[in-house]
Amino acid sequence: MLDFVVVFTKGGVVLWNSNESGQNYSSCINSLIRGVILEERNTESKYFEEDHLAVQFKLDNELDLVYAAVFQKVIKLNYLDNFLSEMQLAFKEKFSEIALGNDYDFEQEFRSVLSAAEEASAKQGKAPKAMRSYNESQKSKKTVASMIEDPKKSSSSATTAASEKRVNIQESPPSSTAGSPRSNEDIIQENRRKLREKLTPTKKAAQESRASKAQQSTQSEKAGKKPRVWDLGGNSKDAVLLDRSKDAPEDQVQVPSIHNELVGTMQGQIPDLDEQSDSPSDESDVDDYEEQQQQRRQAAPTQRKPKSSSGLLSYFKGIVGAKTMTRQELQPALEKMRDHLISKNVASEIAAKLCDSVATSLEGKQLGTFDSIASQVRDALTQSLVRILSPKRRIDIIRDALESKRNGRPYTIIFCGVNGVGKSTNLAKICFWLIENDFNVLIAACDTFRAGAVEQLRTHTRHLNALHPPAKHQNRQMVQLYEKGYGKDAAGIAMEAIKFAHDTKVDVVLVDTAGRMQDNEPLMRSLSKLIKVNNPDLVLFVGEALVGNEAVDQLVKFNQSLADYSSHENPHIIDGIVLTKFDTIDDKVGAAISMTYITGQPIVFVGTGQTYADLKAINVNAVVSSLMK
Amino acid sequence: MDKLNEKTRERTPVKLGEVNFTPILIALLVGFIIVAIFVILRRRSAGRRDFLLTGLSEAGKSAIFMQLVHGKFPETFTSIKENVGEYYSGQQAATRLVDIPGHYRVRDKCFELHKRNAKGIVFVVDSVSVQKDIRDVADFLYTILSDSATQPCSVLILCNKQDQTTAKSSQVIKTLLEKELHTVRDTRSRKLQSVGDDEVNKPIVLGKPGRDFEFAHISQQVQFVESSAKDNQLKQLTQWIDRLL
Repeated sequence: MLDFVVVFTKGGVVLWNSNESGQNYSSCINSLIRGVILEERNTESKYFEEDHLAVQFKLDNELDLVYAAVFQKVIKLNYLDNFLSEMQLAFKEKFSEIALGNDYDFEQEFRSVLSAAEEASAKQGKAPKAMRSYNESQKSKKTVASMIEDPKKSSSSATTAASEKRVNIQESPPSSTAGSPRSNEDIIQENRRKLREKLTPTKKAAQESRASKAQQSTQSEKAGKKPRVWDLGGNSKDAVLLDRSKDAPEDQVQVPSIHNELVGTMQGQIPDLDEQSDSPSDESDVDDYEEQQQQRRQAAPTQRKPKSSSGLLSYFKGIVGAKTMTRQELQPALEKMRDHLISKNVASEIAAKLCDSVATSLEGKQLGTFDSIASQVRDALTQSLVRILSPKRRIDIIRDALESKRNGRPYTIIFCGVNGVGKSTNLAKICFWLIENDFNVLIAACDTFRAGAVEQLRTHTRHLNALHPPAKHQNRQMVQLYEKGYGKDAAGIAMEAIKFAHDTKVDVVLVDTAGRMQDNEPLMRSLSKLIKVNNPDLVLFVGEALVGNEAVDQLVKFNQSLADYSSHENPHIIDGIVLTKFDTIDDKVGAAISMTYITGQPIVFVGTGQTYADLKAINVNAVVSSLMK
Repeated sequence: MDKLNEKTRERTPVKLGEVNFTPILIALLVGFIIVAIFVILRRRSAGRRDFLLTGLSEAGKSAIFMQLVHGKFPETFTSIKENVGEYYSGQQAATRLVDIPGHYRVRDKCFELHKRNAKGIVFVVDSVSVQKDIRDVADFLYTILSDSATQPCSVLILCNKQDQTTAKSSQVIKTLLEKELHTVRDTRSRKLQSVGDDEVNKPIVLGKPGRDFEFAHISQQVQFVESSAKDNQLKQLTQWIDRLL
């Protein structure tokens, strides 16, 4: 039943294993380590699935060991929890100290523990099922009012009507936002329908509303920019006046070079976030840096002094007796930490999961006499926060773009996100950074829905070209815009843009997409099609730092849609996160944690303002210290 | 009885002003001196005497560690924590060997903890996949070499997994790394003064700025050797460690 049971140290060395089938399970265990333990997702369940195998594991924090059992996913083994605990006890009894060089023969004990566990589970299975108590039954959960049968109402009981009511309420806000400018009759009809629903909640009404919502969203998708309807009617002369797709000649004014001082400030790698994160990044003076460096120099020697005293104390720590920490003892400290995290704008489920994971990693650990539980919990939490925020792979966009340039193809980045998070603004900032570092950029305007999106990008293009005129860069225009107006298919435009970039030897292509809600299925489908068809190098999710619990929902649904609607076996999901509006939050930086925890992907850029130079890289220590403050 | 009373009367209570302070002061002074000597000795003994095993994930560091310290070759998985052990070379004293996990999330923190005590750094490279991972390898190697705390260390680049047929030789790896490090240096040299950096850990630009990057130009002594942990071909590594001890 159990294919592979292994005991290994946290340093990666296998102490003992039992391999029934002789296959190599190292890839499975490695993905367990990488996917769960290092991602701080070790919650109560301690269960991990991969392909057709499943792994149940247990951490031993006292001896720094991991016990893992691999079995086939389809077989449900319910004795594994007890089995692993028993094995841990037996192992500890036999070998109290862990020395890596010794031989560990655990075969006999393992067999006895396994047979005992199997017997116990068999016995439990055979026992007759106990009757449910009243409190557990369904009846106690229903309200009295719900059980009163009303002959007037149709087959639905109050509970289903209530759930439909909830469904209706959820549906009406999206339908109202998804609508483009509707005429008065539509609005009146909508209001009539809502009134009808409120009075008589039935299944039919719910179906109706769902159908109309689907209709509306398809309508809005087809219509795009609706032609203006004048009250007194219009004729073909008005069409020329209303044409917004090209700039009128008067608009081609000389762009005032007000931002010339920004030129040259964004070269090289993006600067890290400031430790205090309060100075406005606009004043990027040298004096500012020097002042802060001086402060740091003064702070550094004072930080070193306590070390000598702690060195002495640690000598005594070994002599005085220690006690182990149990989950009950950790609970109050963890509760406090969890509330602290939630007050710093971390999503509540994420905070709960993090505290759970910290509890798992501290359970059974020795507590030195001069340590308190609160300080241990704090240290463990800081360590796991640092681990979550540290990227799990190397992010170096300049290096990868250089590599693509050498291979003769453009480096493509697609920006996606919900409405109003700052995609177009941050796209312009990243474009400025890239042209400062001598890359040619093509912006693809795939936001064919929002009014003024294309014009906004055109204005940015003009500004950026004015800041870096072609004369300075071997007569090449640094930024170009590829657009096809409004109402067209975004995926098609992106494909043509990338082909154009390839033909004209442009280095980087930045694709701007329309903002969309994560629940909106047709829009998510179109985004997934855009990504699948164009195969970008980087898919960046733009999220604002102000978001709270919504971040979890957004990212989960985005990732899921990208995975579901792509017919590929290896769908291209979100590769990185751009955290925007970072200057608006002082130290409530919890959104960073929520987003990186949910996706496991690193934060690539941080937007700290609304001018071109307000782009920074994340500084893990600064964020963690402001979270734990 | 009278004599007893006299004796008790003679033992008058000691007034604070008359107390002789000097013995107390001498005792305190001696105590301080002992504690100071103790602290200084501990500091000095914690000087550079460690050898660090670093490299990317799956390069073979934990296997090499087990071979050197315990003479075994068990199966290993991705390390979460560092492995620390004593290595006894034949003639001389022992030295501490620290195996730093290669996984991106843990490696920086771990390296920070141990870099100040490092006398020598062994950078393990997987000779089979080095071409594919050259960018990650060069990035990590550059970070290690340009760190101010590792300037006095000697560096050995160990081309592991030579038992495989498609493994590249150390010469090829050396040229590959030099070219890649040149590009990495170019990209990083244009870095702005990052505001979050503290003055102590300011990264250093390696080599001579105008010319191509070569390992001979940097302040650490860098050597390339080949090895295979599986076949226990670690003789060159042990010779290098012995030479440094």
